[in-house]
Amino acid sequence: MNALYASYDPRGWWADLAGVWKDTRLIVVTAQIAAIYAAILIPFKAGIPIIPGFVELRPANAIPIVASLLFGPAAAWGAGIGNIIGDCFGTLGPASVFGFLGNFLFGYLPYLMWGHLGWLSSGQPPMVQSWRQGLEYGLVCVVASGVCAGIIAWGVELLGLLPFIVLAPAIFFNNIVMGLLLGPPLLGFLYPRVQRWHLRYEDIRPSVVPLIDSGFSLKMASIKNGVLSDSTELRATLPLLDCRDLSFYYSTHTHPALQNISFSIQSREMVMLLGRSGSSKSTLCYVCNGLIPHMIPGRFSGALQLCGEDTRANPVWKRADRVGLVFQDFETQLIGTTVGAELLHPLEYREPPFALQEIQRRMAHALSSVGLEPCLDRDPMMMSGGQRQRLVMASVLVQEPQLLILDEPSSDLDPASRTQLRQTLRQLRDAGMSLMMTEQDHDDLQLADRVILLDEGRLVWEGSPDMLLRHPNMMRQRGIRPLALTECFEEFGCDPLPLSVEEAWACAEELHLMIEPPADVLDDTVRLGVRASSLDGQSEPVIQLDGVWFRYEERPVLQDINCAIYSGEFLALLGANGSGKSTLARLLNGLLAPAEGRILIDGLDTRATSMSELAKRVGLVFQNPDHQIFADTVWEEVAFSAKNLGCSPGEIAIRVRESLQAVGLPVEENGALDPFSLRKGERQRVAVASILATRPAVLIFDEPTTGLDAQETDRMMAMVRELNRQGHTIVMITHSMRLVAEYAQRCLLLKAGQVVADGSPRDIFHDAALIQTASLEIPLLSQFSQRWGHTLLTVNEVKASLKPKLA
Amino acid sequence: MTVSLYLNHKTWVHRLDGRTKTLTVMGFFVLALCFSHPVYLLGVLALVSGGLAVAQAGVNVKKIWVLAALLVCYSMMLWPFFVEGKTPVPLFHVVGVTWEGCLFGLGMGLRLLIMMWGGVWLLSTTTIEELAQASQRLGLPSRVGFAFSLAFRWVGILLGAGVGVIQAQRSRGLDLSSGTIVERIRKYVPLVVPLIGHALRQTNLLAMALESKGFHPTARRTFLTPQSMKRDDYAMLGVVMLLLGVSAWLRWYGHGILEVRF
Repeated sequence: MNALYASYDPRGWWADLAGVWKDTRLIVVTAQIAAIYAAILIPFKAGIPIIPGFVELRPANAIPIVASLLFGPAAAWGAGIGNIIGDCFGTLGPASVFGFLGNFLFGYLPYLMWGHLGWLSSGQPPMVQSWRQGLEYGLVCVVASGVCAGIIAWGVELLGLLPFIVLAPAIFFNNIVMGLLLGPPLLGFLYPRVQRWHLRYEDIRPSVVPLIDSGFSLKMASIKNGVLSDSTELRATLPLLDCRDLSFYYSTHTHPALQNISFSIQSREMVMLLGRSGSSKSTLCYVCNGLIPHMIPGRFSGALQLCGEDTRANPVWKRADRVGLVFQDFETQLIGTTVGAELLHPLEYREPPFALQEIQRRMAHALSSVGLEPCLDRDPMMMSGGQRQRLVMASVLVQEPQLLILDEPSSDLDPASRTQLRQTLRQLRDAGMSLMMTEQDHDDLQLADRVILLDEGRLVWEGSPDMLLRHPNMMRQRGIRPLALTECFEEFGCDPLPLSVEEAWACAEELHLMIEPPADVLDDTVRLGVRASSLDGQSEPVIQLDGVWFRYEERPVLQDINCAIYSGEFLALLGANGSGKSTLARLLNGLLAPAEGRILIDGLDTRATSMSELAKRVGLVFQNPDHQIFADTVWEEVAFSAKNLGCSPGEIAIRVRESLQAVGLPVEENGALDPFSLRKGERQRVAVASILATRPAVLIFDEPTTGLDAQETDRMMAMVRELNRQGHTIVMITHSMRLVAEYAQRCLLLKAGQVVADGSPRDIFHDAALIQTASLEIPLLSQFSQRWGHTLLTVNEVKASLKPKLA
Repeated sequence: MTVSLYLNHKTWVHRLDGRTKTLTVMGFFVLALCFSHPVYLLGVLALVSGGLAVAQAGVNVKKIWVLAALLVCYSMMLWPFFVEGKTPVPLFHVVGVTWEGCLFGLGMGLRLLIMMWGGVWLLSTTTIEELAQASQRLGLPSRVGFAFSLAFRWVGILLGAGVGVIQAQRSRGLDLSSGTIVERIRKYVPLVVPLIGHALRQTNLLAMALESKGFHPTARRTFLTPQSMKRDDYAMLGVVMLLLGVSAWLRWYGHGILEVRF
């Protein structure tokens, strides 16, 4: 029998319920269930009213039962709070008390009952895979739904609002229909995954999680108060962070995540951790602020001291004033409804509490450090991605840590926001802070004082950024893309290789080289493998936009867009965050309709054509593949799109096979895999395959390489180019000017919802003023070649154009 | 995506302490529960409407207008069939509908409206953080208030993600409006699973982020920008107490109550 249910002790029910509030992870689960319940309650309506506007069939009503069987008492609290949040959208009142109570029991009884129904119990985990499980689930569902309906309806009648006899059956019907129809498939999908993520109640109960292995307590005995030495002088000479022979195994893995890592960070030093995906950069970050082993279980050996204190000695929250961590997914860290609330929150748990003046000083200082002084009362959700990330940094900086750790801070930012981030980081270092940053690429490398290269959990190289950048071969070996400028001069034996445009000019001067592009460079044959000009005038427009406007809450997002997208072309949509690129992409496949003007796809007006018809013509691959993946296997995930179009089983099988083949995931090896078990780059490919299964002529990619390392990016882009060569028209939104320079035939440059330029990448990057006004950056190669009056885009183009100077 | 009803105005009501506003809205609810006669309830409704006007919260009333109208109509239409009075209504007396029952239904509809508008008054003038702070000062454990504000914040994130999920699945040809009821309900699986998965995968990360920033569940939260009761707060609570006293007196002497049997 499932350990959770076998260990149930009715005498301890209150301890069980109260225990939820003593553990951060369970509080988070409670809040998330409440949020999920409310978020599904509000927008998802099955459209079948029982009492219109009051009780309708809503998918959310399956959530308390499903959550209860996964998360136990946390689901009970979550369902109760979620219902109150739902009421906060207009129906908050005394009846909310009964709503809370009813939903609390709706989310508690299934947990209490499962496995405790005597001979009616299946003795198996809470899923519906056998008739006995089905019977048990049905009984649990009936009782929980009935009790919930009874309590709410009784309370509402008590208040004189509606008669019990009307309301109780309506709520019961709603609960039972959704519980019985939606609950079993949801449990079928979620139970194995929640089990794999170690998030079941039995996995996260505080008494169950073995955070620090037993051997640690012996080592701890030799550490007095967590400080190895009381000598102030000795601590002054110690590095800020000192890591010696550190190894770590996740409790679920047999191979080490980190192996014998030794390094240190001094005060006022900026260290960059570099390495491909899976090299354990994030793991090292978690070790450095003590999340490992305090919150992430596993086997830990070696020593790591921060300010002379062993990080294992005290819980993570006690170290917040010494080390701050900005996670890669920074959105998750935002919890306040205003900027001020976001900054105040970390300070409200300080012991002893700060004086008011100190709070104000810290908040003002943190905001000025990241350049958000005028935003104190703003809602973080209404700010741009770059601003939100700087806000997260400020919320860490209010604790005034000595070491700030940033995990891939620039992966989601546009070029302008990246520039601002670099400036902020420089200022922080100049102000005396130490910084440790992880990156997959070399973009921000020159910021650092020192680079640490990780590969498969090992520290493989340590040195200055210049030293690394001037050795492109070593970078390639470790899966990091070399600087394009150094690659251009590699074969000329230039020593040292150039790192900046100025150095490259000097190098060319020294080698008596100049740029003189041959004809096949200028006509894009070198860059694209085909002559782009060969497409001109031969293709028909597949998408036509005539005077398109789009508004969001009266604010114009797109203004008077007029353009055509031609069959077979590779178009890049460029612009700063918030310039309207994603909105335009959603208009192009009919998800949004223009407020004015029209969009024709193959001659069909998007406003008058069904979504399923448009899906056959234009496929949109979203930035986050996890927003669409839901099926148990890769095969089912890809087949979903073809099924929606009404294809026959034979046709579905053909399309799945073809689509998976096209994205480099052959069905024989990958069809049976769980898509959630794949890496992000592979999940992105599954998402592309699922779109390909609709066989669209046009494929739109919304930032397809976000979060991918150099090799994954290359694989993804090679696949996109191959799809283009097979005849698909490609529209790609990206912030990477390198990808634009390397792959795009044509660019549409958006600024504040308007098309400010339409032309080839060569033309666009030639216009420095235009690029600057659109908050973008000209690639270094283009800057380098512009000295000779040409705008070159790729390493191969530069190599083909570098010629000896004529005497 | 922003989901709160809070309106960032600088009115007198906004400046009141969170506890004052919470207790005042509870006072509104008690006033509504004191009476069942529509005339008296209209008086209470006028009071709440005045509060909404002072708080400049009319825009939120407009947002829930349709829902409020529906609920009031249900109450008015349903109650006459479930309560007994003395004066039968011609044509409907065969199903037991009386004038007193109709008045009672009207009263209960108004009661519902008072409660809804009272809730809107509170939520339009009080941020989630203020509510959490007020609830802690009124005796609720700080962790519960924290979970509530965290959940509220996550509703916005999930609604934003939900829009993305719906768009992604519609792009793959998912049509929620076709099929039988069972088929239509089952079509929610591709919408709900990614959304729940998205939230749950953030669980560990969020817990780690919170502790990294100094949060710990066993600590008592010390609000560093304390709400403080001022003269206006005491005045407001005084008025509420007075109104409650008057209502209790009226109720004691049998005013504002309709004579109906259930």
